[in-house]
Order: sequence, then C-alpha cells, then structure tokens
Amino acid sequence: MISRAALARNAQQAVRRSWAARPAQQRTLASAASSSGAFETSDGSGLKVASRDSHGPTTKLAIVAKAGTRFQPLPGLTVGLEEYAFKNTQRRTALRITRESELLGGQLASSHTREALILEASFLRDDLPYFAELLAEVVSMTKYTTHEFHEEIEPVLRIKQNNFYNNVAALALDNAHSVAFHTGLGSSVYPTPSTPSKKYLNEEYIASFADAVYTKPSLALVADGASSQDVSKWVGQFFNDVQSSAQSGQKFDATATKYYGGEQRTTHTGGNAMVIAFPGSAYTAPKPEVAVLAALLGGKSTIKWSTGYSLLSKATSDVVGLNVSASNIPYSDAGLLAVQLSGPAASVRAGAEATVKSLESIANGSVPKEEVAKAVANAKFNALDATQLREPSLHLVGSGIVNTGKAYEPASLVQGIEKVSAESLKNAAKALLEGKASVSSVGDLFLLPYAEQLGLRV
Amino acid sequence: MVSLAPFIVKRPWLHKLMMPISKWYVNAAGYRKMGLRYDDLYEEEREAVQIALKRLSPKEAYERVYRIRRAAQCSYQHKLLPKNEWINDQTDVPYLAPIIKQVEAELAEKDALDAATVIRKAH
Repeated sequence: MISRAALARNAQQAVRRSWAARPAQQRTLASAASSSGAFETSDGSGLKVASRDSHGPTTKLAIVAKAGTRFQPLPGLTVGLEEYAFKNTQRRTALRITRESELLGGQLASSHTREALILEASFLRDDLPYFAELLAEVVSMTKYTTHEFHEEIEPVLRIKQNNFYNNVAALALDNAHSVAFHTGLGSSVYPTPSTPSKKYLNEEYIASFADAVYTKPSLALVADGASSQDVSKWVGQFFNDVQSSAQSGQKFDATATKYYGGEQRTTHTGGNAMVIAFPGSAYTAPKPEVAVLAALLGGKSTIKWSTGYSLLSKATSDVVGLNVSASNIPYSDAGLLAVQLSGPAASVRAGAEATVKSLESIANGSVPKEEVAKAVANAKFNALDATQLREPSLHLVGSGIVNTGKAYEPASLVQGIEKVSAESLKNAAKALLEGKASVSSVGDLFLLPYAEQLGLRV
Repeated sequence: MVSLAPFIVKRPWLHKLMMPISKWYVNAAGYRKMGLRYDDLYEEEREAVQIALKRLSPKEAYERVYRIRRAAQCSYQHKLLPKNEWINDQTDVPYLAPIIKQVEAELAEKDALDAATVIRKAH
C-alpha cells in the first residue's frame, strides 16, 4: 500500500521537475518562433527543393510530381502510379520497404489531386537520410511489375473506385469539375467504373507515364521540419539517379484551362448531393474577392455552439440534416468557387435555394458591412493558416513549384483580401450570377432542382 | 534437398564431362516424348508454385495446360507423340522456374523479416 503522503511527495517532485524543465522548453519555443514560416527554395542538380525548419522532432518529406489527373494521357494512369508508390524497386522489395519504415516509426503515403501526385514520408528528424533515399528510389527505380499490378494494385483500385463512386458528395464535385472544365482539370479523379480499364490501364502504360513524369523538371521535393543544409546534402547524394528528361522523349503538358459551365444530373441510390460552382481563383492570379466570397457564404460555423456569421449557415440553420460548405478550390491556372451540399434531398433543395438567395443578397449589396469585415478576417486567416499547417502547406508549395517554378506565397492574396470592400464583393457576386454556373446534382432527381429553377444561368 | 548440380556447374571440365550423361538422362526420363517441358513437372501443391502459376502470362498458362492435357491423352492411349512434336533442347525452356525462384525468395524474405530482431544502436 502506498501512503498518501508518499503520493503527495511524488506529485510535488513532479511539479518541481516540470518547473525545472521550463527554461529549456522556453528556449526551444523561442527558437521556433524566430524562424519564419516560409519555405526556402533551392535547386539541387536540376531538382527543385523547398524546405522549412520548425525545429520540431518530426519531419515530413514529400515529392510532388506534376502528374495529377489533369496531365494523364489515359484515364487511370495517375491512380495507377499512385498505387505503384513504395512497391518493388530494383534495390528492395515492397515488403522490406514497409517493414523498415515501420521499424523506424515512419509513415508512408501516396495520394493524388487533379494536378499533383504526392508521395510523402513522415518520420523522426534523425531518419532523414533513410527516407530521402527511399523517395529517390521510388521515383527512379520502381520496377512496375506485372504481378504486383494484378495481385495488389488492381483489387485496391477497384475498392477505391467503388468507394469514390458511392460517395455522392465526391461524385457531385467531380461532375461539377467536368462540366466546368471538360477535359484536363475536368477529367475525373478516379476512372469511372464503366471505363474499359483493360484498354487504358496496364503496367506498361503506367511505367511509360512514370518515365515521362518522374523527371527532374516536373518534380519538387518539399521538406517540412528539416534544415535546408541537411536536405540539400542528402538530395545531392541520393537524387542523382532521377532522370532529367524522359527516356522516351514523351511529355504531357496540359493545355490552358477554359471555363465552360453547365449542368449535370445523375441518379444515385447512395444519397443526395449538389454542387453549385462558379469560376474561382487560381494560385497564379489569386482573386481576393472570391476568397472573401467563399468565407462569407461559409456554411460551416467557425465558432463552437453558434451558427456563425456566414450567410449559408444562418440561412440553413433550420434545415434538417444538411451539410453545406463553400470554398474556393484553387488550381494553377483556374479555380472553382464551389458550394457543396449534401444530405436529405428536400434539405439539399432548400440549401441550394438558400445558396442562390445568399449570392443574390451579396450582389444586391444588402449584406451588412460588419459581416463583410468578419468574412475578410476569416478569409485572411484561412489563407495564412493553409500555409502554416503541415499538410496543406506541403501541397501548396509543391504544386506551386512544379506548376509555376516558385513556391506559393500567400502575401499578395492576403494583401488583396485586406483591400476587399463591400462594393467590390457586390460586383464580384454580380459577375458570378451573370456568368455561367456549373451545377451538378447527384441522387434523387425528382426532388433536386434544375439550375434554371434556382435562377442560375448554365 | 542436396543437389550436386551447383558443384558440377562451377567446374567447366566436370560440366563438360557430365553433359552427355545428363542429356541421356533427360531423354530417358521420357517427358519430352509426351510433349512436356521440364517446368511442367513441378508439383503444384507447393505454395510458391501456386503463386508462380498465377503469375504466368495468359498465353503461357494456356500452353502449359495444353501440353499437360496432351500428355494425359498420350498416357491414356499408351502412345508417344510423333517424333516431330517431341520437345527438344531448344523448346524445353524454363518458363516457370525463374518465377518460382523469385516467389521463394519473396517468401523467404517475409519469413526472415517476421523473425527479425532489432538491434538498437547505442545513443
């Protein structure tokens, strides 16, 4: 039996120890605060490298390749390449890669967006050389074997595809992209289940796509939590095998994106979703009004236990089961200001009507000044927070580098946001309502409205 | 299984000496006269062979089944194939053995990794 006095003594000691430890902690916090949150970019033998050191104990290293679904010459190649990440290489097997990373406590992941393919590794700071070598190996030495394609990649692909096509919200957003941009950015993020996959997707096509996109000009290496000297040292050592141009001489460059707009309606038994989208803001030419408009429409409360200031959350507070959010989805040369709604069909219909009404009220100028001020502050926070958080900042910086040659900087966008007034917001909303919208509805089409009924032009 | 083959192959003079004997043995075994390749004889009940068979290309898998059925037919009829259809040195190519070897290496690596002990470096 431990006496109470002994426990109390231990507790006191613990408290005293934590006080003693304070000065050391404060020192590390101070040094973290002294480093700026921006990424340093450098050029390591043709490969663009961005790094940021927050002096934390963990590091995230990511390769961002210009190989998103926008750039794929055949449907599914991006997804195939994503699945081939961390599979057998010339040096070691997939199993060994997995087990070794597990032993080091690392996490490996691959994902893709419409513009980028991202291979990332998160690990303890000291293991940088191991994971730098691993990522270089994945990019330059993957074997793309037939049996892995049949045994491991195809089944996973089918499952992911089914998952995607049973998620009505994702499907609605995908359809909205396809009506907005048609080809390129509009191509589906997952090949449709009805795509004849045998015709377009096999390991040889994936290998030749990899040959074209895993080249130094279309790659960026982004490190968060590692010093730039360390990163450039290991990049110089390990990334020499990455080819500087495709052996086959192929190149998949995207044509400039054009906004079309239109409407698409799909029946689905898995739920109801609608996306109402308008031309948005791109990385390269950010439109601050669009960012503020997205914040003002909002939909999700940013403060707990309140509906929040945003127009959509106020307008739909009594609609049961509706999930609504407005956001600007940026790409390198285009963007989509999308209001995503999902929930019961009647609620989605009510939400869609509320969305158009809210936009009209902004265009009328009947939104109070202080609401606009709140939206400006929120949009500014969102823009800056995205560059601060690890995950979104890696994507932003990587896509910025591969698409425009330099890291994404929020400064110009933030300055623009600060200058947005109720008047400029009114004009922006008016222009959106006068232009063509992209509307996609998935689910119970008897209840979900047509764009025409909502009062939108498509 | 203990095999003398690697020992012999390493020594060219011995290899040369044994070649005629091995040729005689292969022909005497008789599988070539029934239209089978050596790789058709692997016992299918092993895990590695099962996996390797799944990794054959559709054409190879089809031809393998064709050869085995033809040999079974020969066996029922107590006949050999006509001489021009016999498998010879040129056509008796190992199409399955390399895959089996690769699968066995994978399985062995898996077992080794499952039994690995981690030695931490002293800090």
